[in-house]
Amino acid sequence: MSIADIEPQSEMHGGTPGHHESPEKVDARQRVGIWLFIGADVVTVAALLFTYLYLRGVDTAGHWMSMVGFPGHLHTYSEWENLYNNGTLGNPKPVYVGVLSAGLQWLTAALTVVSAGVLWFGEKSLRATKNAKAFSPFAIVAMVLTLVGVVVCAIQLGDIPQIFVGANDSITMSYTTYDSAMMAIIGSTLGHLVLLAFLGLGLAIRSARGVISGDKWYQVRLVRYFWVWVAISAVVSTLITTTINTVH
Amino acid sequence: MTTTLEHTETSAEPRGGGLARYQNFGTAVVAGVIFAWIGWFIARKLFWSSSDNFSDQVATMTAVGWMIGFWIGIGAFNAPFRWLLGNDNSRDDDLYYAGYKQGRARYWKYTTDHKVVGVQYIIVTMSLLGVGGILAMAIRTELIVPGTHFVNQQVYNSFIAIHGMVMILALIVAVAGPWGNFVMPIMVGARDMAFPRLNALSLWTLVSAAVLLVTVLAVGGLPVGWVVLGTIADQAGVGMDFFAMAIVVFTVSTTVASINLITTVITMRTKGMTLDRLPIFVWGTIITAVLALYAFPFFFVAELNQLLDRTASTSFYIAAGGGTSWLQANLFWLMGHPEVYVILIPAVAALFEISSTMARKPLFSYRTAVGAMVALSGLSALVWAHHMFTSGWAPTLGGPFMVTTELISIPTGIFFLVLVGTLWRGNVWMKLPTIWMFGFIFNFIIGGVTGIYLSDVPLDEQLHGTMFVTAHFHYIFVGSVLFGAIAALAYWFPKVTGRYLDERMGRYSFWLVFIGVQITFGAMFLSGLKGMPRRDASYSLAFEHTNFISTLGAYIIMSGMLVLLGAVITSWRRGEPSGPNPWHANTLEWQVPTPVPLENFLEEPVITQDPYHYGEELVGQ
Repeated sequence: MSIADIEPQSEMHGGTPGHHESPEKVDARQRVGIWLFIGADVVTVAALLFTYLYLRGVDTAGHWMSMVGFPGHLHTYSEWENLYNNGTLGNPKPVYVGVLSAGLQWLTAALTVVSAGVLWFGEKSLRATKNAKAFSPFAIVAMVLTLVGVVVCAIQLGDIPQIFVGANDSITMSYTTYDSAMMAIIGSTLGHLVLLAFLGLGLAIRSARGVISGDKWYQVRLVRYFWVWVAISAVVSTLITTTINTVH
Repeated sequence: MTTTLEHTETSAEPRGGGLARYQNFGTAVVAGVIFAWIGWFIARKLFWSSSDNFSDQVATMTAVGWMIGFWIGIGAFNAPFRWLLGNDNSRDDDLYYAGYKQGRARYWKYTTDHKVVGVQYIIVTMSLLGVGGILAMAIRTELIVPGTHFVNQQVYNSFIAIHGMVMILALIVAVAGPWGNFVMPIMVGARDMAFPRLNALSLWTLVSAAVLLVTVLAVGGLPVGWVVLGTIADQAGVGMDFFAMAIVVFTVSTTVASINLITTVITMRTKGMTLDRLPIFVWGTIITAVLALYAFPFFFVAELNQLLDRTASTSFYIAAGGGTSWLQANLFWLMGHPEVYVILIPAVAALFEISSTMARKPLFSYRTAVGAMVALSGLSALVWAHHMFTSGWAPTLGGPFMVTTELISIPTGIFFLVLVGTLWRGNVWMKLPTIWMFGFIFNFIIGGVTGIYLSDVPLDEQLHGTMFVTAHFHYIFVGSVLFGAIAALAYWFPKVTGRYLDERMGRYSFWLVFIGVQITFGAMFLSGLKGMPRRDASYSLAFEHTNFISTLGAYIIMSGMLVLLGAVITSWRRGEPSGPNPWHANTLEWQVPTPVPLENFLEEPVITQDPYHYGEELVGQ
């Protein structure tokens, strides 16, 4: 007998994977799955916030923030070397490295919350009216809001200033630990928003094509669970990073 | 609609599958290489400088390209994009993905049938053990006499790092991978895993990460050890980028697999399969999965920070920029110690299963066994700082962490109690799984007791960083977990192949590996007690004899493992036929035909009692 010999008995029974169960059973299973996925994501976001709070707590060499740096538009070694070696420290103009814009952070969180609300409202409407076609606009609006959030995150990441630090007998450019932790947190939010945009687009297309219907709406609820969690994580992250940021 | 099985008499080859018909491991590798080159090309345009033409950014984008290409090539993105477009799989598509009528080809594809995935995990685990074993032999060969002879210190350290991480990956999946996938769904009476496509995803993301991890050796190695402490990781070359990317992807694989295992047990148990009737191996698997869900996100963030430090100029671990390596140490060990139990618990749970069947007795204290596994998981989250006793981080926490670590010995002691209690006065059937189980018990005592020494702060101050620690965890990982994994392989091998694992070759293998372990790691304890440091290619003459003996023992282990490999290959091809239930066991996987049908059961089973009722008719006499 070989591995291939396992096959023939499969033929005898002619299985039909995935086509035996009621949507309710599949829904129940996928709900457990999405809650577990959210659980793992909670730990990931918690680890990012732990990183943020830990670095603020130790404030090694006073490099948490409050230094002089340069706008974060220098990306290559040659640009850095040119800036440092040519003494063109006035061009670009130095900037004070402080707290990132709380307004942009809250804007991102607000966009996520509102998009979650729109999706939730659309789901309620779908379940009440059984009109799948009417759900598409809600999914599209939610998706567009997350894409705006993606743009806001990208703006935040692009504006983070850099500092000069000495490392391994040379001078290089780096980010303060505050900015490093913020890059990870904003990057995480951005990643989540891109995923939400994908899911929102999928829901819009599926409802337009009739795959989601008044009777088959459970996937909308699964997506909504995750969407609401992302909104909660964005609010919690923003709350922590906008209220606990400076070192006294 | 109910959950009754529908049996359609389909004999024609399914027409579905779409693009998946043309995708397999070969196309995955080709696409991975092409996308890696594209990543390298784009990154080189963006980040190239005359002083550093294979910079960290270039290496990372190359690695990202490999991953994306591999996943496209194997078919991992097919289902998400079909979902996006509202074009869900048809029945034929599902049949195709399940590997229906595809013979051996399905083992090289993105197949969703949990039994195929289980076999794939067996192959991946054995491949990883092979790579890690070759590196182990290279390490021991270098250490056979004092001085550096075959490799220099940098290469030696790279061997240590990749050996360590490859073996960790192999052991994480060694029991939960093959048997959590192949037998666990059948044990609970399910037709498949809860999320078959995620099942395939977890396997193939592991493969893509493993390939990247081994490739580290070809791009400069990783001379900073498998823990890659933040203080020294920034000195490593681009191998570090490949390593970190491999770990990030591996954590995703583990998370996906854990979600799948837990959901299967929660939602797909058959009628009557109440929690107190769950086979003990199922408990071990889901407790492990829960622990992995908690632990591996820390590893994900630890390595993500590492990548950002190297590619985006952040300062998480770089002191010059305000970072601290203690952050890395905390994040790493928040994962690192629970990971030990992610590795250990499935092996122990498999041995519980084996002990009851082979002693023809009910499992001794079933609920205590479950409680011990739960307690061990909970405690494992509270002991991480014992790896940092000598690092200078929070010395005042040494006492509390010493206590929590020593508490670990209570649930592990219960493991012994359950095993010995089950075997006690049983009519023990001394077949291959039983023999490897006894090897486990012997070695785990040594590994466990020496662990108690290391949990003690004053003694750890003396022994930390010595070969004593290396010997301790090798008694756990090789002497215990590997023995448990081989026992599980011998036990469930007939269910996979319909044949026994060759008893004679298996016994030769056992004695070679068992004796080799005592020689190798016994001598290593002596090296450590005399003060020999870890991670050193060269050493003082004072350690000459014990190292020679350790290397000799390592060659004996290698011989035993090669005999085992031979036994697996020959038994798989032409071993003694075993029938569907060679051990006369009560759990469900032994009640179905061998080979197991595509959907496991002809009729949905109904469970009326727990599976450990061996010999109970004698109780009243």
